[in-house]
Amino acid sequence: MNIIEMKNIKKDYPLGETVVHALRGIDLSVEEGGFISIVGPSGSGKTTLLNLIGCIDTPTEGSVKIGGEEITTLDDTDLTNIRLFKVGFIFQTFNLIPVLNLIENVEFPLLLMKENRLTKEEIRERARQCVEEVGLKEFIDHRPAELSGGQRQRVAIARALVTKPQIVLADEPTANLDSETGASILTLMKQLNKTEKTTFIFSTHDPDVLKYATDVVKIRDGLIVDKTDSSKYLRQSGVRKKPGPAKAASPAGRRK
Amino acid sequence: MGLIIKIAWRNIQRHRGKSLVVGIILFLGAMVMTIGNGVVSAMEKGLKENIMNRFTGQIVVMSSRQEQDNVIFTPLGKDVEVIAGFDKVKKVLSSQDCIAKFLPVGKGLTLILNDNGDVGYALVLGVRFEDYQKMFKNNIQLVEGKLLGNEDRGILVSSGSRKRVYDEQDFWLQPEGVPLDEKTLTPEALANKGRLDVRNSIVMMGTSQENTTMDIRMNVTGIIRYSYLNEFWKNFNLMDIESFREVFNYVTANDVVTEVPKDKQKLLDRDNFDSLFGDSVVEKVDTGTKNYDVSKLMGRRVVRKKVSVDSGAYNLIFVKLKDPGAINSSAEKLNRAFAAAGAEARAVPWKKAIGQLGDIAMIMRGATIGFVMLIFFVAIIIIMNTLSMAALERVSEIGMMRAVGAQKSFIAGMFLAETAIISFVSGGAGIIAGAVTVAVLNSLGITSENHILQLLFGGDVFRPALDGMDIVIGVVELALVTVLATLYPLKVARRITPLDAIMRD
Repeated sequence: MNIIEMKNIKKDYPLGETVVHALRGIDLSVEEGGFISIVGPSGSGKTTLLNLIGCIDTPTEGSVKIGGEEITTLDDTDLTNIRLFKVGFIFQTFNLIPVLNLIENVEFPLLLMKENRLTKEEIRERARQCVEEVGLKEFIDHRPAELSGGQRQRVAIARALVTKPQIVLADEPTANLDSETGASILTLMKQLNKTEKTTFIFSTHDPDVLKYATDVVKIRDGLIVDKTDSSKYLRQSGVRKKPGPAKAASPAGRRK
Repeated sequence: MGLIIKIAWRNIQRHRGKSLVVGIILFLGAMVMTIGNGVVSAMEKGLKENIMNRFTGQIVVMSSRQEQDNVIFTPLGKDVEVIAGFDKVKKVLSSQDCIAKFLPVGKGLTLILNDNGDVGYALVLGVRFEDYQKMFKNNIQLVEGKLLGNEDRGILVSSGSRKRVYDEQDFWLQPEGVPLDEKTLTPEALANKGRLDVRNSIVMMGTSQENTTMDIRMNVTGIIRYSYLNEFWKNFNLMDIESFREVFNYVTANDVVTEVPKDKQKLLDRDNFDSLFGDSVVEKVDTGTKNYDVSKLMGRRVVRKKVSVDSGAYNLIFVKLKDPGAINSSAEKLNRAFAAAGAEARAVPWKKAIGQLGDIAMIMRGATIGFVMLIFFVAIIIIMNTLSMAALERVSEIGMMRAVGAQKSFIAGMFLAETAIISFVSGGAGIIAGAVTVAVLNSLGITSENHILQLLFGGDVFRPALDGMDIVIGVVELALVTVLATLYPLKVARRITPLDAIMRD
């Protein structure tokens, strides 16, 4: 079953008197439980594509279905609910709420869910588990300003995973992480991908991230130019696929 | 809700500078507003109390033929219509449960004649003086001489009128048998003390509504001033009602007519040469009716022994109510009763009757409220600007919140909570500071001779005061300011999208 279906997606951005055609007609289907990497040079439209899938932006033209639901006709409230309940987003630059401490940042989306029927204690417990999984247990009371860039990124990852979304979108998720921490996070994601059937879609340039992907979508000038399995892509790119979950099974919580 | 409050409170602490700016503005605004409310409240209360209790009562009854409701400060001293059929009006007033007491008075403008031809004027109220004092809480203070008894004849000249008479007609009025007191002389009179033309009586000429005139000499019994708002009432002199009626030729069918022997009639009317050739010198008045017929009776001369003041002619009736708060409803009730009884009278609330004084008070009130509103307008603009800037500086934070699933209402609630907390703390402190200031100002008992300030004070002493309702109004105004000041920043914050945050990064 396809959890994401995009047909003839076009996205234009006005730029002064000209129009930038960020996406020029994208067709993309992603099966539930997929682990997809989107690759392409800067300005090719990777982030725009992720934004459309994550209901952060709407296309100028075309159809986007998330879990079978057409989102291009939804209003802001419904789009926000999809972001809250179905999608976890890890931004390229880790955005945390500066006035909340680490654990409060992680539990933030759970607190927004009025329908989750979890008690405060349950919410706190689930957030604590996620924090442990990203290796930041001892920083639980720290505010974002007291954390390193990598630690903040891991908080953002924990926050994206805490709601157990159907889809996790990540824009350069390991950009601020050292290779060891990055590997441990990716291992965690892979684990969730297998156990929870969570669909992961990454935008990345990092060959180490690509090693974890099942499929790679290559995008250039707003168009998908290739969609292939990751092994083939890595072979073509001259990178040997060697998943490294064992190497970073227990992520460290040190400051970068 | 707890999450919103938590984030809002921490944001206030995080953005201390902006919170402080907004807080100080709200503090000052709330303080000025509270003081303003105290002043306005005291002014209204003071004016109401002083004018109602000491000058007019809550309701003023006048002739239904009187065109304008403004009967106290009539333009150019224009005469007030005579109430026809006072008996009927009195019966209606006496039968009303809502009325505590009432006092009929004559009111008019007389000329003051001088031997040298100079003419001045005097506003006079014709009253039974003791009744007047009882009705209006001994509002008349004696400066010199003595006050009138109910049956006494004479005029009580206000110190304001005495000064004006001296300024305009060059003679100084002094009660008979009372030596000149330098302390009571005006600076001009004091400078001319040796050559002062001191007089114990005054020749007044009144004009009837039929344009006949009568002049009488009145003994100055006393010099008076008003305890409250003397600056506004200083031109009103009080004379006994009998003399008042004489000078204005108000003669009624109820007046007792004395049959005078024929031999004395000629002597009494010796200045009327025509009458010497007539059969009857004294006209008889139709006493068969109790109703007062102005057109028939006014202006006629009769020889009177004693006037029945209770059933005579009056211009106004000041009414005090048992419930001073039920002015409009009581006036309406009275008017219905007058109509039902066929009485030619109209009841109007005191505010309408005092005309321009009420208007000035309204203007003063409006100006004070306007000043407070101006302060708030400025506060709203500054707060609005500060919060809008704050919203724009927090695009990443707000956009990220929206990206992870916060609805626009959550963002709005967060902003509103931030402003509400600042408003509650700072505004609350401002209201308390304002209340303390009002209490201090009240205790100082500031006085002023300036009549505009007296209006603002609501009396001679500045006694700003706040009651529970003023505080409630203050809190409501503060809430309104908070909401108004937050509306635009809320709009700005609500418009921030996750995409804005991403693009900014």
